[in-house]
Amino acid sequence: MINPLSRFLDQAVMSAQALVEFGTHLVNPTIRLGVTGMSDAGKTVFITALVHGLMQGGRFPVFEAMAGGRIAQARLAPQPDDAVPRFDYETHLRALVLDRRWPESTRRISELRLVIEYQSRRGAMRTLTLDIVDYPGEWLLDLPLLNMSYEQWSAESLALSRQQPRAALASHWHDHLRTLDPLGPAHEQAALTATALFSAYLKSCRDQRYAMSMLPPGHFLMPGDFAGSPALTFVPLDIPDNGAAPHGSLWSMMRRRYESYKRVIVKPFFREHFARLDRQIVLVDVLAALNAGPEALRDLERALASVLACFSAGRRSVFSALFNPRIDRILFAASKADHLHRSSHDQLEAILRRLTKSALQTAQVAGAEVDVVALAAVRATREAMIGREQEQLAAILGTPTAGEVLGEQVFDGETEVAMFPGDLPDDPDLLFTQTSAFRGLTATSAQNADFRFLRLRPPILQSGHGDKPSFPHIRLDRALEFLIGDRLR
Amino acid sequence: MKPLRRRPAAFAVNDPNVVVSKTEIVSAEISPQTPERMITATPFAKAGAISKHFVLGWSVAFWSACGGLVALATGLAISELVEALYARSQVLGWIGVSLAALAALALLVILFREIRALVRLTAIEALRDRAAAAIVSDQRAEGAAIARELLHLTRDKPLLARARKTLSAHVDDIIDGADMVRLSERSLVGPLDQEAKRLVSAAAKRVSIVTAISPRAVLDMVFVFATALGLMRQLAYLYGGRPGTFGLIQLARLSLAHVTLTGGLAVGDGVLQQILGHGVLTKLSTRLGEGMLNGLLTARLGLAAIEVTRPLPFVALPQPALRDLAADFMREISSEPSAQSSISEGSSSSRAST
Repeated sequence: MINPLSRFLDQAVMSAQALVEFGTHLVNPTIRLGVTGMSDAGKTVFITALVHGLMQGGRFPVFEAMAGGRIAQARLAPQPDDAVPRFDYETHLRALVLDRRWPESTRRISELRLVIEYQSRRGAMRTLTLDIVDYPGEWLLDLPLLNMSYEQWSAESLALSRQQPRAALASHWHDHLRTLDPLGPAHEQAALTATALFSAYLKSCRDQRYAMSMLPPGHFLMPGDFAGSPALTFVPLDIPDNGAAPHGSLWSMMRRRYESYKRVIVKPFFREHFARLDRQIVLVDVLAALNAGPEALRDLERALASVLACFSAGRRSVFSALFNPRIDRILFAASKADHLHRSSHDQLEAILRRLTKSALQTAQVAGAEVDVVALAAVRATREAMIGREQEQLAAILGTPTAGEVLGEQVFDGETEVAMFPGDLPDDPDLLFTQTSAFRGLTATSAQNADFRFLRLRPPILQSGHGDKPSFPHIRLDRALEFLIGDRLR
Repeated sequence: MKPLRRRPAAFAVNDPNVVVSKTEIVSAEISPQTPERMITATPFAKAGAISKHFVLGWSVAFWSACGGLVALATGLAISELVEALYARSQVLGWIGVSLAALAALALLVILFREIRALVRLTAIEALRDRAAAAIVSDQRAEGAAIARELLHLTRDKPLLARARKTLSAHVDDIIDGADMVRLSERSLVGPLDQEAKRLVSAAAKRVSIVTAISPRAVLDMVFVFATALGLMRQLAYLYGGRPGTFGLIQLARLSLAHVTLTGGLAVGDGVLQQILGHGVLTKLSTRLGEGMLNGLLTARLGLAAIEVTRPLPFVALPQPALRDLAADFMREISSEPSAQSSISEGSSSSRAST
């Protein structure tokens, strides 16, 4: 259980940290911007496009400081944390520009420091240091575990895995689980097999046909440097409601490992990275969930709710800066908005708003600013109208990656096609109701699904201001304005 | 279920049914649809307003009746004059008729222009209201329509050539309504604001100096009045309006109403300190003090006129405050070392500095 003393100590350490940071920030204003989202949500692309746009002067009309010409220069600088890997901006950029493929996805935390030299509206030359922290959204799913005992977590995970469509995916692990006796003596081999099966189940839930999001513990999917350690070798068990774990039993071993997982992995992440963020953008791949079906959408809603409960959001004040660091702006972004015609963007935003409704309210009450936006950090499509039997379809043009399927067609990754991905409803609730007639890949074949959002290849660079190439984007400038615009006044 | 009825589909790009949206991107500067729609819409609103006035009462009836009588009298006088001219000589009669016809034509043209100017002013007012609504509703189509209209409105401002080019490149981008309105304000109205501030400040300075040196109170009253009207006209032109006489009267009325509404020389403006701070100066010369007060009043009126004539509300840009303007012109006036003795020199030098 949670020890009050350790919690107090944590708080003290964080406060001390905050105090030091507060001092440095007075001299040298800094924003720590957290970029997160489940895998495939587009974090890496977002950061690459953002850094590229700031450094090369992208086409950002809505980002006032840049459009008004007040940003003199943005340059990369050595990052402050020596223990955290650097965000490999150059490699990702090369992948996007030269190979026309999406960069490698985020597997662990990484960091990049960008120094923006700008002139304030009143004319003073200033610098703003932007520390971009990129971390897998799966790790966020671990934060709720901090307030959960092993028994609670175990029961919850099992209940979840017995729902459709997860039950089918979890059958192997369930079979093995039945052979385990929680009260019996601990076996390392049994624990290893169970963990392998459990991880396989979590991984298969992530397949694009199911696109599940609520898959804690996150480090099973993104082990980082801890792969294979005992702290990552535990599974939920079918434990009796009452009674205590006998000494030396499987149950007590699992519980010990669960606690060390929290202590060794989750808490340091929380303390050293998460609790120090000033601004946060959460990228959500709503389209993947729409592809998969209503189950995936509901799962996404649940995952977002549990993640958002962990944000300590609120208005920033001198007091809070000293004793209780807070996130004062959160942006929820439905990424890959370029997969939809602009006429559907409002509906996409409405769905995301519906997904994050409770979190929006809590954060707003606490005084934090929260916004929802449909964006595409790199826009891979153009728009078109298709005339079909007296009706007009608002469609997009793009190059699907090799092997993608729509209807009868299989794409080769070279030809550009016009796609109509399906109509998003005006009322997002229609997608969430139990009786919803909407079917995705989970329930039906790719030919019959209601929505098909294909993976597309990155665009060919277009030239922007001063003939320097810049990525086309959708509302990246609006996101920037919201996230850092107020600090560049 | 209805909303999901249209199934996903893919088409080859060379399919004749596929129309790539590039053709949608017309040069935004020459798309006149929206302003026309506005012009047809506004007369209705005007007509409604006028009919309301008619109901207002006997005074309106009295003045209209008097106006009618005067018109009749004029008509009668002219026709009698023409008859008398004919009686004298055929040629004189013809000259009389053609002069009368010319006068009638000129009157018609003037009336037409006045009406057009009024419509234009109302259109600007309506644009401001629409922009305020678009900031709230965040409708993309509305934002783009407002940006287009603003581009159309400012098409003859050489100052904005580059800004217009940049903005028209963004009109067809995917930018939300509120952002688009802010962007238009920053790029097109921002430079005009600078110019407007300069105009107001110069007028205020002129008024305070003239008040200080004018020998008669009546004279400076007239001067203040003339300068204020001139200022309003300039501001209206600056922001894309073309007020005629009636338009100017309407503007003046609106600006005055605005000043009264916001409480004349508001204490909150921080002007009081300015005045008190210059108390010493006032002791030296009541005239100079009066001049300063008149200048402040002109500036206040000018700021109100800015708000009335500006085609967009102040959202992305800060509203110019009286304090800034006042500080500006007071500094210039009181920096003249022997302000009182060599006031005429001062006036010429400060005029040169604008």
